[in-house]
Order: sequence, then C-alpha cells, then structure tokens
Amino acid sequence: MIPRARTAFIAGFLLPATVLYTVFVVIPVVQAFAFSLYRWRGISANRTFVGLENFHHLFADPLVWVALRHNLLLFLGTGVAILALSLALAHAVGSENRAARFLRSVYLFPQVISLVVVAILWMFILNPSFGILNAALKAVGLERWAIAWLGEKTTALASIGVAHVWHALGFYIMLFAAALRTIPPDVMEAATLDGAMGLTRLRYVTLPMLWAVLRIALVYMAIGAMNIFSLVFLMTQGGPDRATEVMLTYLYEQAFKHSEFGYATALAVLNFVLVMALSGAILALFRHNPQEGKA
Amino acid sequence: MKHVKYTLLVLVATLTAIVVVSCGKQSSTASKELEVACFKGGYDIDFFEQAAREYEKAHPGVKIKVWGNPRVWEQLRPRFVAGNPPDLTYPGWGMDHWALVYEGQVIPLDEYLDSPPYGKTEGRWRDTFEPSLLELCQYQGKTYMLPYFFSMLGWWYNKDMFEQNGWKPPRTWSELLDLCEKIKAKGIAPITYQGIYPAYAVSGFLIPWVISAGGIEAFDDAQNLVPGAWKSPAFLKAAQMMDELRRRGYFQKGANAMDHTGAQMEFLSGRAAMIPCGTWLHSEMRNVMPKGFRMGFFLPPVLDDGKGDPTAVGIGIEPWMVPTKGKNRELAIDFYKYMTSLEKAKQFVEAKGTLMSIRGSDQANFPEHLKEPVEVFRNAKTVWSVEYRQWYPKLGKAVEDATAALLAGDVTPEQFVERLEQAAEAARQDKNLPKHTYKRGQAR
Repeated sequence: MIPRARTAFIAGFLLPATVLYTVFVVIPVVQAFAFSLYRWRGISANRTFVGLENFHHLFADPLVWVALRHNLLLFLGTGVAILALSLALAHAVGSENRAARFLRSVYLFPQVISLVVVAILWMFILNPSFGILNAALKAVGLERWAIAWLGEKTTALASIGVAHVWHALGFYIMLFAAALRTIPPDVMEAATLDGAMGLTRLRYVTLPMLWAVLRIALVYMAIGAMNIFSLVFLMTQGGPDRATEVMLTYLYEQAFKHSEFGYATALAVLNFVLVMALSGAILALFRHNPQEGKA
Repeated sequence: MKHVKYTLLVLVATLTAIVVVSCGKQSSTASKELEVACFKGGYDIDFFEQAAREYEKAHPGVKIKVWGNPRVWEQLRPRFVAGNPPDLTYPGWGMDHWALVYEGQVIPLDEYLDSPPYGKTEGRWRDTFEPSLLELCQYQGKTYMLPYFFSMLGWWYNKDMFEQNGWKPPRTWSELLDLCEKIKAKGIAPITYQGIYPAYAVSGFLIPWVISAGGIEAFDDAQNLVPGAWKSPAFLKAAQMMDELRRRGYFQKGANAMDHTGAQMEFLSGRAAMIPCGTWLHSEMRNVMPKGFRMGFFLPPVLDDGKGDPTAVGIGIEPWMVPTKGKNRELAIDFYKYMTSLEKAKQFVEAKGTLMSIRGSDQANFPEHLKEPVEVFRNAKTVWSVEYRQWYPKLGKAVEDATAALLAGDVTPEQFVERLEQAAEAARQDKNLPKHTYKRGQAR
C-alpha cells in the first residue's frame, strides 16, 4: 500500500508532463480529427462544416496514393538496408580493435547532425556538376553512370532513401549494440561449441535473443519512413514531376500553398491512422518469436 | 525529508503555472503604435526599419515596430486565424495572398488610393504607381494589395565569356540555336536552369515563347481559363521549342536536379553561359559572386516570325496589404504612403538595386547590372505577369510538374499541353475556387 503523501508526491511530478502532453499533443490530435470535417482555408476563423467531403476527395485523389506508395517503398527499402547495415555494424562496434574503437566514436555523428545539414550534404554529394559521387564514377570509368541522381524519376526516391539511411543508421546501431551486450556470453559460447557459426548462429541464436529490440526497431523505422519530410522538402521538393512526393510534403503543399487546411488535416488524420495501423501490424506480426520454445 | 518533497511540489506547480500563464499572454497595443511584419529576403528589412525611424521622428508619439524573417508567412497565418494580425504586412511570396482577400482579411484600398499622396493636399496616391502593376492587385474591381519593388524576368548571360568569344546575346530563335551550338562546341553548357523549382523554366521559357508564338492573347486567355487555351497551338509551339533545346543538348546536363542557388552557381562559375532568372539574381548571389563577375540581361529570344510583341516583358510583384483586423489602419496607410513617396522609392532603388513600382523612380542611379533591365522595361510595349499561379495554386503546381517532365524528356510536347489543359479544366470545374479575369487596360 502506497501512503497518500507518496501518491500526491508522484502525482505532483506527473502533473506537468501530463498537462504539457495534453495541451500540446492530445488536444491538437483531437482537434485535427474535428478540423478534417471542415472546409477551411486556414487563414481566418471561418470554417464550413462539410462532413466527410475531405475524405471523399482524399480517396479519389491519385496523388495521395502516389505519395503513400513512395512512403511504403521508402519503408521497405530503407528498412531492409538499415536492418542489414545496423546489425552488421552493431556486431563490428562490439569488438575490441582500433577500427571498432574508431567506429564507436563516429557512428552517432550523422544522427546528431540537423536534417537540413544532412540534406545539403547529400545534395552536394549527388550534385550532377561537381558532386563527389559522379566524380568518383568518372574516375573509375563509369562515365555513363554519372547522372543527375535527384533529377531522374527513376533514381530520385532511392537517392533520398540513401540519405535517410545514412542519417538514421547510428540510432539503430546503438539500439542493436546495446541489445547485443545483453546476450549472455555463455550462450554464445555454447552455440559456438555446438558448431553454430556465422549466419547459422545469427539466425538461431542472435536474432531470437534480439527479438524484442528488433520489433521496436521495425516500429521506429515505419514511423520514420511514414513521417519523412525535411529530406524530401529540401532535396527535391517532391519532384521531379512528383517522383518523390510523400504524404507529409503533399500535406504541406495542400495546407500552405493551396490554403486547403481542412483537406490537409484530413491527410494528417489518414497518415496518423496509417502509422498506427502499420505499427500495430508490425507488433502483431512479430509478437511471437519463431525460435521460442524450440530449443 | 517531507519539507524537501513539498518544496519540490511547489516548485513544479509554479513552473507549470508559468508555462500555462505565459501561453495565454496577450500583447496590448496603444493607439499610436504600429506593427509591420515583413518578408526578409534578398533585400532585407533594414530599409523599412530605417523608414520607420524617420517617420517616428517626423511624427512624435508614433512608435513603429518592424520585424520580419524569411518564413514570415508561416507565422502570420495563425495571427490571422486568431484575429490578431499586424497593422501592415508584406507577407512574402509564400503567402496565399488571394485567400486573404477571399476571407476578408485585408481591406480594399481604393478609398485611400484616391486620397492625396504622403505630405500632399491634392492629387491621387493612385497616380504615383505604375498602373500596369496596380492592375495586378485588383479583384472584382477593387484594389486589395499594393506593390512596392518589382522584378523583371528574363535571361542573363556571362558578359566576359561572351565578349572573349565574340558572342552576342541572341534576339531570335535561330540566333539562339546558332549560338548554343557554338557554346556547346566550347565545352560549356549553353543554358542552365533551376530544375527543382520549375517555376523558373515556366516564366523563363514556356510563357515568353507562348507569347511569341501566339501573341499576348494566347497567354491572357490561358490565365483567364478560356477552354482550350492551355493546349492552343501557341502552347504546343513553346513546348516544342523547349523540347528541341533539350534534344539538342543545349540545356546543362543535370539541371533538373539543381535548386536555384545550385543552378545560379553553375552560371557564376562559368560552367553555363545563360540562365533564366529575375532581376533579383544579383542581390541573391552577391555573397558568392566571383570578384568582378559581369552579367548582362536580355529578353528571352523570340521566334523569327513570331506573332507576339518582341518587347513584351514579364514582371513580378510582392505586394503589401493592410489587414482588416489591424488596430491602426490610418497610421498604417500613412506610413506606407511615406514609404512609397518618390524620394523613398529612389532611395530604395539605389540602396537595393531593384526597380520600383513608383513612377519616376527610374530616374534614380541604377547599379550597373540593372541598366539593361531598365532599358528593356522602358521600351516594353507589353507587360505580362504570371498571375494564375497565385489565383489557382493547384494549376500553378500542375504546370510546374508537367514542365519538369517535359524538360526531363518524360513527356512529349503533345502530352505536355494535354496535361496543362486537364489541370485548367480541373480549375474551371472547382466550384470552391473564386475565379479571376484579367482585362488588359490601357496600362502603358
């Protein structure tokens, strides 16, 4: 039984966070649901209630589906890349040699750089005129591959995906490196003695023991890919010809350029529902560890 | 121990209270105070601040607060929604100006425009503006916005490069093709453009060539959403011209992936010989311009047998307005009258190196890079402005998307004009979109 004074004490500490969270998160979210039912230019207090009209438009708007497809492609593409790279690098930073020590001191750098700087950095790297990527390609004789990466419909989205992976990787390395440390060394040793090495050990020992972290990492990746905005906004403006349009850049366009705040809010509601659904689906799919109880 | 807990509790509660109270705080404004919110772009806001200090000196008791930043429109939106806007504002290119008009958030200014200019007892303030620029500020016969400086749209060339090679800025399409071939042979990209923002290509290539091919009516009809106007032979011709430059390799490789500063750097570094841009180019790039770089301005080359007026020039304004719910309307107007007096206008021209919407201000001392644009404007018999982009933002975006696709070679000129017409049809069908009609007055 907790004494009353202690309850009050705990409540006292919870209160500010609860108030702030309610004022700046809960209320805006609830408001967003309400605003999505209005036609509103977002420039005066005049709003016209239109029921589900915004949602009808939304489902008939081909650009919403174009943008959503790009978000999902980014999730799949960057998800696989991040998973593979971060697991490998998390292993690497766990060793004790000079390279690992160096890696440990730098792997979080991209994560702490502002996204605006990340975008500008990658625009320089990919620059068709003086970027180092094309210079490198030309140096090794791949002249034909030196293209305007952000200007071609076929490569623009992937290029943004690469920048996103580069930026996000450090966080997942940290996550997995920490999780790897929690695996008891004797388990690993036992597996090795039983002859499980390399990929076999990864599949039957390491991954199952990382299961809970893996699940959370996937949810983070989904949220990251669904809410991507700054990189696209700065690197391509959603172009060329909508080839990199994503949900949030389209939302921004509707709200601030077209003064369709009601419609933009409906898009926000859709994005909210989709992120929730995607996270829920991931959590459900990965609820049971396939290796659990098999041993 | 208990004491410590209670002290902490009180501390936390106080902090919470401070946060809650300061969020609800309202600023109060006295009657002689004026708030002016400005877009802070390449021309900064120091000139407006200076003008405010001068006005305060001449009118004791008046206090003018001028503030601004490069994304000021994003801060102004919630202020308008809350009914607490500034008294006078220049919200910048990112603001949906006409939405403010439709929502009654800014006042019609005709009554004031018919009153005398600053410090005068007779004459009309209206007559001090370039009429062709005032025309752009009207909706259903009323004037809701006022121009200040204006920009001209055209092409720039690298003067030293041209002189060294004995090249001349091309005036016609055939001259352009000849020149591009020569430039290309030198290993230099003839033309670059700001591909990530296709609006530059629209006003630098598409519209001038529509006007050249079909006359100014071809463009006016398109802006007025006349059915079929966006896929008229003039638009098709202009699209074919852009496509031809692309196929011949006269555009810089990779320009589609360049933002405005990126492409403009290509021009300044001599890797590209020509670029379409407005008269703001010089001030936008002055910090990174190679020492002694000289650039010249010319109108986009016209068709050799073009129907349109070869002196036609594109211009753009970034208007000022007086919010309906501002607290000090009369003072706001009088301060703006001061800012638009001929004396201040000439000072702005000299300080910032741009053209002004005030008649007679072209008698000021223009910097070197503006002498050609001023000459072009004086000789222009036709003036045009991209208005559909502000009137119908979705149409504007659709035209830009299609332009990016055309310049990338992803669509044919025929598919391109079909896309434009479809977007125009969508605008026509949109019942919630207020429509504008532009009638060409006896402007100049």
